[in-house]
Amino acid sequence: MPDSSTAPAPTNTGLGRVLILVYAVFALSATGRSTVQLVQKADDAPLAYALSAFAAAVYIMATYCLAKPGPRTTRLAWLAVSVELVGVLVIGTLSIVEPSWFPDDTVWSDFGSGYGWVPLVLPFLGLAWLFRTARPRAAGAVSGTPTRP
Amino acid sequence: MIDPLQTLLIALSLLIAAIATVYVVLDRPAGHVLLGSLGLLEGGLLVQAGIGIVQLAQGDGDGVNGLVFVGYLLGTLLFVPAAAWWALGERSRAGTTGLIVVGLVVPVLILRLQQIWTPAGA
Repeated sequence: MPDSSTAPAPTNTGLGRVLILVYAVFALSATGRSTVQLVQKADDAPLAYALSAFAAAVYIMATYCLAKPGPRTTRLAWLAVSVELVGVLVIGTLSIVEPSWFPDDTVWSDFGSGYGWVPLVLPFLGLAWLFRTARPRAAGAVSGTPTRP
Repeated sequence: MIDPLQTLLIALSLLIAAIATVYVVLDRPAGHVLLGSLGLLEGGLLVQAGIGIVQLAQGDGDGVNGLVFVGYLLGTLLFVPAAAWWALGERSRAGTTGLIVVGLVVPVLILRLQQIWTPAGA
């Protein structure tokens, strides 16, 4: 445990490295999937494929920003992981409520069940890690609330 | 596709995950055993990619999506060294934990390869 200050801890060490590895796997697989979909059959399910490409971009941004710690990249990491969470929840819900909108699957369809539910769990782990590294001594503190030194 | 080799690669990969787990539990840094196993795995994946591409070129795969198939073959081949480099970049418990991830992801990739090689039915 760090003993001094409340300075943010780097996001790319320790467990963060494992998290980044998992993010990289999804960045790669989502990029591969959407590239194939858009190259080979863009007209079949434009919405699903556009979402696949969007998901890929979000995963790439999250991977890069977590792997390169700094005030700016960490802010962008917060953004990417939050968008990821909203994405998997909204797309997961829509794919069940309005299956006709999704003739083909995206990474986030059915809350990522096709990928062992990892896409659903990952943003929560990402946010937990960002909270923890933002305030190493007060894990889980509410963002924006100043902690007393 | 090339069943005995792929089954072997899946087993080796899971073995790497298991060994890495033991190392994490004992809090020991990854050593020759893990590095050697990773090298062996990568060698096997290289053979798999070679055989797979030759089989595809000979037209063995019936209705196989060539782009996806080759993408998975090469992607798997690049994934292991890249992920291992990243995981071992930090000699710590967490770094070794990264090797567990590698060992668990590779079997999934190989299983997907087999699905791609035998499209619907068969």
